[in-house]
Amino acid sequence: MATLEEVDVVIVGAGASGSVYASVLAKAGKTVVILEQGPDWKLSDLISSDFWGRRIKTVGAPFILEGQNPYAYSYQSGWGAGGAALHYFANLPRLLPSDFTIKSEHNRALDWPISYETVAPYYDRVARDIGVSGDAKAEEVWRPKGEAYPMPPMKTFRGGDIWLKACKEAGIRLVPAAVGMNSIPYKGRPACVYDGWCHVGCPTGALANPLVTYLSDAKKAGAEVRALSTVTRVLTNARGDRVTGVEYYDQAKQKQFQPARVVVLAAWSAQNPRLLLNSATDRHPNGLANSSHLVGRYMMAHFSSVTWAIFDEDVQNHMGTTGAQYMSYDRYSKTSHKGAFGSTFIVAGSALKTSDIGGFANARADLFGHELHAFMKRAVRGLTRIVMFGEALPRVENRVEVVSEKDEFGMPLARFVHSYDRDAIGVWNANFDEGLTIARAAGAAETWSARANMPTIHLLGGTIMGTGAGNSVVNSYGRTHELPNLHVAGPGIFPTAGASNPTYTIFALSQRGAEHLAATWKMIAS
Amino acid sequence: MDKLQRRDFMKSAALGALTVTVGGVDALLAARDARAQGAPFRVLTLEEGGVVEALGETLVPGARSAGIAHFIDHQLSVPPADALLEARILNIKPPFVTFYRAAIGAIEAASQARHGRRFAQLTATEQREFVDLMRQAKIDGWQGPPGPLVYSVTRSDAVDVVYGTMEGYAALGIPYMPHIAPKQRW
Repeated sequence: MATLEEVDVVIVGAGASGSVYASVLAKAGKTVVILEQGPDWKLSDLISSDFWGRRIKTVGAPFILEGQNPYAYSYQSGWGAGGAALHYFANLPRLLPSDFTIKSEHNRALDWPISYETVAPYYDRVARDIGVSGDAKAEEVWRPKGEAYPMPPMKTFRGGDIWLKACKEAGIRLVPAAVGMNSIPYKGRPACVYDGWCHVGCPTGALANPLVTYLSDAKKAGAEVRALSTVTRVLTNARGDRVTGVEYYDQAKQKQFQPARVVVLAAWSAQNPRLLLNSATDRHPNGLANSSHLVGRYMMAHFSSVTWAIFDEDVQNHMGTTGAQYMSYDRYSKTSHKGAFGSTFIVAGSALKTSDIGGFANARADLFGHELHAFMKRAVRGLTRIVMFGEALPRVENRVEVVSEKDEFGMPLARFVHSYDRDAIGVWNANFDEGLTIARAAGAAETWSARANMPTIHLLGGTIMGTGAGNSVVNSYGRTHELPNLHVAGPGIFPTAGASNPTYTIFALSQRGAEHLAATWKMIAS
Repeated sequence: MDKLQRRDFMKSAALGALTVTVGGVDALLAARDARAQGAPFRVLTLEEGGVVEALGETLVPGARSAGIAHFIDHQLSVPPADALLEARILNIKPPFVTFYRAAIGAIEAASQARHGRRFAQLTATEQREFVDLMRQAKIDGWQGPPGPLVYSVTRSDAVDVVYGTMEGYAALGIPYMPHIAPKQRW
């Protein structure tokens, strides 16, 4: 194993959180190396096609997926520069204050060690940095005031507008979705043209993926991205009280040791625990930062209740963005549904394509042959949907744990066990019922629930934040309680999931963690 | 092939055209054309290709002539990281040929057990009934990947080749509107 020249920071993963850390720390004058398992994608690689869009997702994930609701790892994951944020829909809703205090308010789940008010300035900061379109004033019926978004809301189309009246009658106020997309030119990046290819990677720069925001900034500030580099272990000093760098296999599959004064794990919620567990030493026999035995625990996902509807009119479903035109927190109270605990976040109106998991054909996955073709002809004109995302509470038994079987680099695979509890299933079912009611009230000619396997969307937990090593893996900045120069970044540090899309909070927490790391550098890195 | 031609050839191959040998000459063909010209498979056997075509046509009319067998065969011949199959995002473990061979084997065995004939030899009505039972995991004695998973993966392949291309969008009457258009179908 060759030992490379020491750098200030090595970041594992070039996705949403790693890119923010790289940007902040490189701008602060630190030498930054990002080790990314996949390719260093360029915008020109982002072909507008569901076929080609699959290349930016993981192939052959190193996880054995088990449980009642096995996690849809490959579909949700990212592979290469930008990570999952290269194909995210750029929906940027916030968590609400109630998400941070579930234990205190309901004696359920966990509290965060910080409040909404702590995170709020970073939401505003991120909005300015990457560009967010939306109507902050309209959102403030549900959350504390903050800065206005830097861009006005995006255009809407009939596939979204058609839900407004029926939702209002049901007590659901739909407001313009907050999205990381340009409704007008912003910071040299063009406005969106609403062609609906967000989910395979937007090459124009209208959508704020890391290639045109944080990762671009990081590279300009001197950060180096080493693509096709697979990290297998985090190494520690002899006393076991500091990390010294990471071991990885480079593009030529040669083993390297990259020394660093600070290590940031930003390889997503399941891979970070796998790395920590595989880095066990005599001093850390349960894996690094794991005296709590909570590394790999409290894995969480969101689920969605999708209500499809076909209308007897052209709903312009080929236009728009993949994510959402409208959103609502009117079912976000943890007790919105009788007999089932957890938040619901509602979105409506999205551009649809023909194939892939979210396309027209999968809206009726039971159809094939001539019936499918007849459906496709109807769907391309009149199909739209309303989607209700649900919160699953953290469960300690939802876990990542290493097993004896190994990957091509000799690193143990991990078993990833995931099951929803009765509350989650209850929220899921209640949201289907409400979705159908709304669709009928909206005048749909046909409506149905996408009620097959309960889906797993987004990925959170596994290295949760808390007040100390007795109840968590990291503090609110992402610093591990046990190793001061080891950070964990990304949704893995969320102690609860909320129901809204997580990426805005990932950006905000990463900005906060990275700024704190830079501000305390002398104390941490020496 | 001179250097310039070879560079263009390799670029096109990387973009998804199939490199096939027709009449002793290397050629780049789309899956539809590869089928029409009788290009040999790289990974699948002729019999396996026949099952894939019959299954694909049952799932989505037009999948056979769109070249579903050559599409899958080509994707199975490239490294998993380059494969464009929906299987890669459905947590199917590479190499993907393992899944497809097991699925084809299960279909053939079940078809023989139920009808005494290979799947491709069944009538269209029988094929349709077979697929309907497979998707619901209602075929007794099924041996292989779960029937609903086989249905989901192969249906996605058929949807891809018929509806997922620029021609497929045009046939449905909706604009494709690419930022960066695929230079080949896949």
